[in-house]
Amino acid sequence: MPLIATEGLTKRYPGSVTALDGLTLSLEPGIIGLVGANGAGKSTLLRILLGLLEPTSGSATVLGHDVATDGARLRRSVGYMPESDCLPPDSSATDFVTQMGRWSGLPASAARERAAEVLRHVGLYEERYRQIGGYSTGMKQRVKLAQALVHDPRLLLLDEPTNGLDPAGRDEMLALVRRTGTEFGIAVVVASHLLGEIERVCDFLVAIDAGRLLRAAPLGAFTERTGALAVEVEDNAAALATALTAAGLRVTVDGRTVLVELGDDQQYDAVRDAVAELGLPLVRMQRRRHGLEDLFQ
Amino acid sequence: MSGAAGNIYDLGYRGYDGPRVGRRAVAVALLRQTLAASYGIGRGGRAKLVPFGLGALGLLPAVLAVGIAALVSQAGPAGPNLEEASPIRHDTYQGLSATIVMLFCAAQAPELFGRDQRYGVLPLYFSRSLGRADYALARLGGLALAVFALSIAPHIVLTLGAVLAATDPLTGLANEAHEVPRALAISVLDAGLLAGVAGVIAAWTPRRAYATAAIIGAFIVPPIVVALSARLAAGGLARALVLVTPGDLLDGANAAIYGSIPDSPAVAAAGLPAWSYLAAAALGIAVCVTLMLRRYVRITV
Repeated sequence: MPLIATEGLTKRYPGSVTALDGLTLSLEPGIIGLVGANGAGKSTLLRILLGLLEPTSGSATVLGHDVATDGARLRRSVGYMPESDCLPPDSSATDFVTQMGRWSGLPASAARERAAEVLRHVGLYEERYRQIGGYSTGMKQRVKLAQALVHDPRLLLLDEPTNGLDPAGRDEMLALVRRTGTEFGIAVVVASHLLGEIERVCDFLVAIDAGRLLRAAPLGAFTERTGALAVEVEDNAAALATALTAAGLRVTVDGRTVLVELGDDQQYDAVRDAVAELGLPLVRMQRRRHGLEDLFQ
Repeated sequence: MSGAAGNIYDLGYRGYDGPRVGRRAVAVALLRQTLAASYGIGRGGRAKLVPFGLGALGLLPAVLAVGIAALVSQAGPAGPNLEEASPIRHDTYQGLSATIVMLFCAAQAPELFGRDQRYGVLPLYFSRSLGRADYALARLGGLALAVFALSIAPHIVLTLGAVLAATDPLTGLANEAHEVPRALAISVLDAGLLAGVAGVIAAWTPRRAYATAAIIGAFIVPPIVVALSARLAAGGLARALVLVTPGDLLDGANAAIYGSIPDSPAVAAAGLPAWSYLAAAALGIAVCVTLMLRRYVRITV
């Protein structure tokens, strides 16, 4: 049973704005990155998966529950961290997370214990008794994550969890997400417009653009090696290119770098020999990888 | 090496395997939290000032009446006559406390309904097992229970006072027994209608100050319109308006329940049958519940 499956999921907002356009997906448990530019439909997809929003057409199941008909049971096993502000400033983190635990179906005493537990897990200690209004953005994001975790969900849906955080805060939040996903076996979907961040925490990547699926694959496939070897030399790249072409290799020159199309290992020898013969100062030889950015170009 | 007691161990994240309660129990918990929050319980000391202050004001006449009754019971033969003459009785209490109950609604409903919308908390409620209708009904029910408590408390004080002041408490209790269903009836209508109107306005008006103003407006503007249309000799219109004016409607319902003369001249002038007030109040409550459900089923979060 897939974690999340959608079939032709479409959402049109009034005024002919299409947020999702026939999205069909099947995702297995893990840490899943949902990546796309602002307005690509990430938040819309998460909200449909939670049953907060009704799709215009198409269907979706989460943890085997149909979003349209079995929303209440589905939501019991899901934790949601919205992108927007969702914390009352006049409440303390402890009180707020305890209440959210209760509304998730925990008995009163269990909700209190769980609130203390998850607030500690996200790194809020003494400050959890203070009013949220006085918190930094980083602390607020932690409270938002804590309320999503309080009922020990099987799936976490995180919408831009690093929003508004400074670089150190981002690192900490990403480490927290990664830890929650790997050590505790909770499936996580992280939506972000920042490829660099997503890359650091996810095993699987779903790229959407203008509501359409661009690609869904394990992270490795996105950054898989291309059949090119980059040879960087201090100078005279042109001479190297000529020599390699003469040796029967297909090359292109990019500044100080010569890109060599790879076939088999013998080409490495040809490159080595050519560089040695010309006496060129070699800086590096590296297999080229696709950057995630290439996806959106 | 430091002692074991001085070490902090990171136990990491632990799962939860304990019991979980169903949707209905969650809704009941939300209703109880709403009831408590209506009186500022679970919030700061300042949040308790207004609800408890209004509660004390609402009880004051009843406490005075009990004090007077206690004095009167020592006045000998003139006692019963003096007691009859007291303006503070079960049948007059709705009129005495209506303004206080309305102020309570205007002060507390915006806090209960606006806060979750203002701070964007609704997505967190609705992404849990709690349904939208559950949320709407639990919040409205909590406010209505709070208003019911405010409305019935003076009746309880009056009854207790009468029982304790009676020469024979058992006889006193027997004399008061018939007041219980009537006090319950008017308090239920009070709670349903005033909490309903205030709740619906607050649910549609997230901004607190606007909501408070709108609720006060809804309670004080219609009687003015009724009085004006009566003055302009539009008798038919005034009679119809009495039934959609919360204060007049409850005044009429109170008179219907106690078989007494209504306080409001407009209600007295309208001369509508007693049952029409009860029916209109019940209908009004149903309309408020419907509007409340609509609001939360349709709201985009």
